Amino acid sequence: MGTFKGQVAIVGIGEVPTGRFPERSAIYCAVKAAQLAIADAGLHKDDIDTVIPTTALYNAKFNTDLVTGRIVEELGLRVRNNLQLFAGGATSAIMLKVAAGLISTGVSDAILFVHADKLGSGVSGQEGIDLFSTAGISKEWEVPYGLHYSAVAGLITQRTMYETATTAEQLASVCVSNRKWAQLNPLAMFRKPLSIEKVLNSKILSSPLHAYESNMLADGGAAFIVTSAQRARTLSERPAYLLGEGSRVTHFALSQEPDMTRFGYAAAAADAYAMAGLSPADIDLAELYDSYPIFQLIALEELGLCARGEAGSFVLAGHTWPGGKLPMTTNGGMLSQGHTGAGGGISILIEAARQLMGKAGERQVPNARFAIETATGGTYVDAHVTLLGNEIP
Amino acid sequence: MPAKPLPPTDPWTEPYWTAARQGKLLIQRCKTCHHYVFYPRLVCPHCGADALAWVEATGKGVIYTYSVVTNNPPSAFMADLPFVIAVVQLAEGVRMMANIVDCDSAALHCDMPVEVTFEARSDEITLPQFRPQR
Repeated sequence: MGTFKGQVAIVGIGEVPTGRFPERSAIYCAVKAAQLAIADAGLHKDDIDTVIPTTALYNAKFNTDLVTGRIVEELGLRVRNNLQLFAGGATSAIMLKVAAGLISTGVSDAILFVHADKLGSGVSGQEGIDLFSTAGISKEWEVPYGLHYSAVAGLITQRTMYETATTAEQLASVCVSNRKWAQLNPLAMFRKPLSIEKVLNSKILSSPLHAYESNMLADGGAAFIVTSAQRARTLSERPAYLLGEGSRVTHFALSQEPDMTRFGYAAAAADAYAMAGLSPADIDLAELYDSYPIFQLIALEELGLCARGEAGSFVLAGHTWPGGKLPMTTNGGMLSQGHTGAGGGISILIEAARQLMGKAGERQVPNARFAIETATGGTYVDAHVTLLGNEIP
Repeated sequence: MPAKPLPPTDPWTEPYWTAARQGKLLIQRCKTCHHYVFYPRLVCPHCGADALAWVEATGKGVIYTYSVVTNNPPSAFMADLPFVIAVVQLAEGVRMMANIVDCDSAALHCDMPVEVTFEARSDEITLPQFRPQR
């Protein structure tokens, strides 16, 4: 396997508020987020040579506009390439890898990645459930049995509780941790305080999953710019360098996942740490993909940040909260910032960059140097681990 | 309310569905590497050989994991609430998604023994399902 260590960096980020905004169009979100990212990077629009939008799920026609260059034209860019890249919730990690490949080979110099979707107000709640009861779920072997994403989370949570003695209270505390960060995030959908009791008193969707342990589909837009490390240093004092990455694809149909309590994270993390020359002890920030609380707990353990079976008590003790020793998912994640489709993971990647660049405002983690980030798509078919830092170790 | 979804069928999965209509659960076994395979494939996912044979499964297994769905299901399953969805590990070692039927959902647990039963969903499609072993 090759190495991307320290070759490229995120130099600009842009995001619009996540939530339900029926009057706000998806193209507005895409253009505004891109404009913010270009300005944040200190670049001129003509510096961008490649635009890579990801898929918008709410509307196939809008998505085709993105495939065929609408963002290029709306922003008046002068680019050589416009292409779409989509790996579901893992899109953020794939974007960084593709950026590293294109930039290190000289195909591109400055790449603008853009996401915009309207899953909060562009589809009804039931349409959202129905959309996600077939997206990434086997039409032959699972859809006929009524599998959908709450049940996916329920199945995985049930087995993990059985094997590791993780408790309902510990799972609820993950939602509370995410909410505490979202309270400091002006872009988040949910910012009111949340308690463990409130989570546990919410209705069960698919046992043992409570309603407050489910993400909420949302409208949103996010963009970021990647360039070479050499150029990044001329643009920013603290760019977010890509230091390491690793990944594994372990199933398509959920029933075929060999270990629903682990997935491919341990092997993916081993690759990422080796590439970066870092170990779990070096990590200042854990920007972990949520969508449901169980995935943050599994990642904490499989990435070596907690021992097996101990992530729940670690989170319950407050170690991942603002001021804690291992800040986790500091934008509030999809549980509190909102789930915008492929953008849910992109927002978490952008948050990692935001923290490393020192631009996180009220929720800035002091002296954060190295962040570990996860992303996964479909029914958690793949495990992506990314290491970022504002210095190259 | 939309009708409950029927699985699309393919020429190479037809023996599975034909058997299910007759109350039999077929799985595949590779003639080259002898691994059992589920769901029906074109190619052995273990060794890559193009030599998958059909064998009748014992129909016995255990619940690897399960979830009792009580709220917010897909539209077509609204009338079924509450229902149980599970990953069943067959005695042959392969896993499949199914519903657990004819059960007290409060008594379910991981690694609980279950056995196959069948649900006719249309004239053409019968789904293998599971219930607690009797």
